[in-house]
Amino acid sequence: MSDAAHAHDEHGHHAHPTGLMRWLTTTNHKDIGSLYLFFALIMLFMAGSMALLIRAELFKPGLQLMHPDFFNQLTTMHGLIMIFGVIMPAFSGFANWQVPLMLGAPDMAFPRMNNWAFWLLPVAGVMLLGSFWLPGGAVAGGWTMYPPLFIQGGVSYDLTILAVHIMGLSSIMGSINIITTILNMRAPGLTLMKMPLFCWTWLITAYLLIATMPVLAGAVTMLLTDRNFGTHFFNAAGGGDPVMFQHIFWFFAHPEVYILILPAFGIVSQVIPTFARKPLFGYASMVYATASIAILSFIVWAHHMFTVGMPVAGQLFFMFSTMLIAVPTGVKVFNWVATMWKGSMTFETPMLFAIAFVCLFTIGGFSGLVLAMAPVDIQLQDTYYVVAHFHYVLVSGALFSIFAGIYYWLPKWTGHMYSETLGKTHFWLSVIGMNIVFFPMHFLGLAGMPRRIPDYALQFTEFNQIATVGAFIFGFSQLIFLTVVLKTIKGGAKASDRVWEGAEGLEWTVPSPAPYHTFETAPVVK
Amino acid sequence: MDKVDSNGCEEGVSATFVFRSRPNQSLTRGEQRVVFWTLAMVCLGTASGFALLGYWPILPFAGLEIGLLAWAHEVLRTREGAYETITIEGDKVVLEWQAGTRADHREMNRRWARVTCECASPGRNCHLRLSSHGRDTEVGQYLSDEARLRLAATLRRKLRE
Ligand code: HEM
Ligand SMILES: [Cu+2]
Repeated sequence: MSDAAHAHDEHGHHAHPTGLMRWLTTTNHKDIGSLYLFFALIMLFMAGSMALLIRAELFKPGLQLMHPDFFNQLTTMHGLIMIFGVIMPAFSGFANWQVPLMLGAPDMAFPRMNNWAFWLLPVAGVMLLGSFWLPGGAVAGGWTMYPPLFIQGGVSYDLTILAVHIMGLSSIMGSINIITTILNMRAPGLTLMKMPLFCWTWLITAYLLIATMPVLAGAVTMLLTDRNFGTHFFNAAGGGDPVMFQHIFWFFAHPEVYILILPAFGIVSQVIPTFARKPLFGYASMVYATASIAILSFIVWAHHMFTVGMPVAGQLFFMFSTMLIAVPTGVKVFNWVATMWKGSMTFETPMLFAIAFVCLFTIGGFSGLVLAMAPVDIQLQDTYYVVAHFHYVLVSGALFSIFAGIYYWLPKWTGHMYSETLGKTHFWLSVIGMNIVFFPMHFLGLAGMPRRIPDYALQFTEFNQIATVGAFIFGFSQLIFLTVVLKTIKGGAKASDRVWEGAEGLEWTVPSPAPYHTFETAPVVK
Repeated sequence: MDKVDSNGCEEGVSATFVFRSRPNQSLTRGEQRVVFWTLAMVCLGTASGFALLGYWPILPFAGLEIGLLAWAHEVLRTREGAYETITIEGDKVVLEWQAGTRADHREMNRRWARVTCECASPGRNCHLRLSSHGRDTEVGQYLSDEARLRLAATLRRKLRE
């Protein structure tokens, strides 16, 4: 401390950026981590408000509040922003904060590229949100961007394609940084198989991103040329094949859904051992399971397309390969449960979110298996059952892991403890609200309610009303989360270095907040 | 980058102070090459597959990505063997750098050398400089901000001794 205080006494004649410029030019991994997390938080409220508008419209059959086309814009933008603007940036924020701390590295491998990778995101975010004000409104064809709708829309479609390119570039730069940092900047003695699991899951996620981003970029570029330059890649009118877009898109997007969940596995694998006060059960099998999930994710894409009229052999292949993914996923769930087994558990907010993750993500995994059965999926494709499935894996999966991670590391980052009472209130309202919104959607789907519609048949009313009530509970309880985060940044009880009694790893050996002297001499891991 | 070289902080018997830091590389050159090529081949492989089906616009993006990967690979290569040394001996302070093909050094008088360390915010974005006769030289480029603050304190002490 005294060194640093001293350092402040002597003012050099070198102006360094302050205020906004400091944040614009920062190359520090902690700053950039914070920027990613704040960006994700703001976008969470943007896309969350859209979800509440959607649920408000669906409270009753018939059209209540908005024009159907605006409803479609909301569902599309909600999906795009939640995926590219909330979950992915939040995980990147965790990676920026934690990977160097966990590895004993001074910063990320390419600090300047790190700065670029972040600042591209707000640009894309503004483009996406701004497109609501363009003639014709925002894109309305669904986050999956299928032709022919996506070839027909107005100028906002071109803008969205550009935004997707920018976000893709950002992801690629982020991934190169993360891969290089993890592989090349580990402290002496920290071998790959000794790394915290969070680093492993991000390493594999970054590989997935690098492997799939050019495919997404190419796919949306072909949409763009079909729209503006007279090509016919996907335009049936000119001999193109719209189904091929689906193949190309899902070749990217199924690995993408694992990009949205593998870092979550990593976070939960850090949190559970801490509060069970036992080392992670089956560390090596966790690493192998993560890698197998990633590899398998490249051969299952057509489970999103069982209704397009594939040959039976194709349906069988994609059905069985999809089911195969349940094996490594099951290994993970087993390991988390086994870690808790006979542990001396305590239930602080991060642990509560992690346990909810294990239970509720598993429900999403099971509904995924139901959808993986080709004959069943033909009934359920494009119904609310699919909506229920992916919200169980993305809300109680990805988002809950983010909450768990924030509560877990916020004391380390800010030096202050959060309010456990507020945290627990946030947890219980979220977990109850979340189930009230999404569980009835299974029934709606089984009963045949299609997804992405602003109006529905009378028999679906009750379940929709329940879902809408749940959505408002869930949505408004996120204001508690906002309060907790802001309050903890501003002040609060002082956090100790270790913060949690059972916490293990390099990041806990340095004082909270993390700044001074992080690794004054290179930590050596034995 | 970085890591205080494990035997970097040699406080010699003859009151000579040597501080050497170099970027940390936990991969060998060969391993770095393997990482680059596996990534490049996967991208090129899928992009070529789609190109063969007629969907060639994926290829240029794969190419651009491989270009970026190659740049990153090259940067790591130039970091190989890079170091920075601060030596305080007698009434001289000697700074030396080596990075890729570039190498440089500067000498200053111990009594005139001043240490400045500024942080944009505590622990973040710190710049550590040694200056003398109106000219400053940034040091500690391979260190974390925290290690820079620490080095600043050490240097101040050593210069006064
Ligand atoms: C055991 C693991 C899983 C299986 C077997 C599985 C299976 C499936 C299947 C078959 C579909 C297609 C349903 C249809 O459109 O008819 C689907 C959709 C979806 N899944 Fe999963 N899934 C699993 C895990 C996940 C995870 C971990 C995520 C993300 C974190 C995820 C996100 C999604 C999304 C977003 C969709 C809907 C895409 C759309 O049409 O908009 N799934 N899943
Ligand atoms: Cu899928």
